[in-house]
Amino acid sequence: MTGAAITVMLGQAWLVAGLGVGVAFLLFGLDRVDASARGAYGFRPLLLPGLVLLWPLVIWRWLEATPADTQPSLKRRHKRAHAAIWSGLALGLTLILGTGLMLRQHDVPASSSVRIGPAPSDADE
Amino acid sequence: MSVTYRPVGWTRSKIVYDAVLLAGVALYLIGFMRFAPRTRLPGTLLDDQSLAIRAYGTCAFLLLTLVLMIGPLARLDARFLPLLYNRRHFGVITCIVAASHLIAVFDWYYAYSPLSPWVALFATDAAYGDLRGFPFIPLGLAAFLILLVLAATSHDFWLNFLTPPVWKSLHMSIYAAYALAVGHVAFGALQDARNAGLPALVVGGSGMLLGLHLAAAWRERRRDRPAPASAAEPDWIVAGTVGDVPAGRGLIVPLADGSSVAIFREDGALSAISNLCAHQNGPLGEGRLRDGCVVCPWHGYEYRLRDGCAPAPFTERVATYAIRLDGRTILLDPRPNPLGTATQPLAIPRETR
Repeated sequence: MTGAAITVMLGQAWLVAGLGVGVAFLLFGLDRVDASARGAYGFRPLLLPGLVLLWPLVIWRWLEATPADTQPSLKRRHKRAHAAIWSGLALGLTLILGTGLMLRQHDVPASSSVRIGPAPSDADE
Repeated sequence: MSVTYRPVGWTRSKIVYDAVLLAGVALYLIGFMRFAPRTRLPGTLLDDQSLAIRAYGTCAFLLLTLVLMIGPLARLDARFLPLLYNRRHFGVITCIVAASHLIAVFDWYYAYSPLSPWVALFATDAAYGDLRGFPFIPLGLAAFLILLVLAATSHDFWLNFLTPPVWKSLHMSIYAAYALAVGHVAFGALQDARNAGLPALVVGGSGMLLGLHLAAAWRERRRDRPAPASAAEPDWIVAGTVGDVPAGRGLIVPLADGSSVAIFREDGALSAISNLCAHQNGPLGEGRLRDGCVVCPWHGYEYRLRDGCAPAPFTERVATYAIRLDGRTILLDPRPNPLGTATQPLAIPRETR
């Protein structure tokens, strides 16, 4: 079996497991972990793609069985992370784009159209 | 959240926002399909399927660049804040356009493969050791997977379920998606771009985005220098003067522990609450005052100034802080009160107003 086939098979297994976890969570877990979901059904189908994709995270939060922490975060760690990330991206994007532009084959001329037909014969002249 | 969930909390502004966005996407796609062929020489004309792949791809890249510009633009100039309020729908539409690009690729390049299209997708293009011809498809696929996860977790339920710090961290992976998308274009379509349009879009868009984010980060860094401690009482800090509190908005006071407080003036009295909204840590100090409540500029969550609680039926709460006046100087106790603690607004003496 090739690496590509194994990758696809693992992806399919992930999605099947996620579908099982997702449906079980919608049926048995959602009302328990979030009071705002009780009696609300229209929004539940919207959750399924996320439940399927992130099922390990869903199990982790489900097993914790506590409502989400209502104490808001006081520190803005993400703001500091944002500055660090974009400093890194300044270098990373420049490298990626610079490499991409250098590799371009500038000298390949765009071909112009040529009429294909029989070679002119002496009789035509 | 504290009220029953709905699929989408539609408001008039959200409907207008989405309508304008969808109209823009439709115009771009139609315009691209109609006018892009005119920029190519006759011998390099693309078939309709390839044209559609490029139309969806460039549209998704443009949308991703634009949606990432909204955050820093709103930080740098409050006039861009309305663009921020419905940014999640922008992200979902970006994901849908990117999905259209992927489907168009499958329909054209892999439709007749004897292998499963997904296996064929991973099996082609595996020369990772060679920069010339570097496999660009996996880069685009990874970017799309990130967009898909973010779109799938854009409902408020996820924010509550995963907790705001985890949700925010997850959604910051959008930056990785952008880098992957740039790589996808740089090693893919850019290699045989026949005119300056695509290089200009990618280089110009990335450059503008970098400039905006770095400018916003620089501004935040300068603004976040902690306020000094009071000389007379080291446990309190000097937040500023009465005149520093802007009309209708808050004076944002950074604290040494990385948090910040917003001080508001209403009806000749001062009140201090946490600067961070309980929803997504939006900057309450940049919000408006309405009926004794601060309205978060990001998503409209409201908190009463006197106790930091959202009006019923909502249950979000942010901390209040003790303040006092030393002449015209505002002193702030940086230790937050327990959530829900009511405070008496600090009346400003007439002679110091």
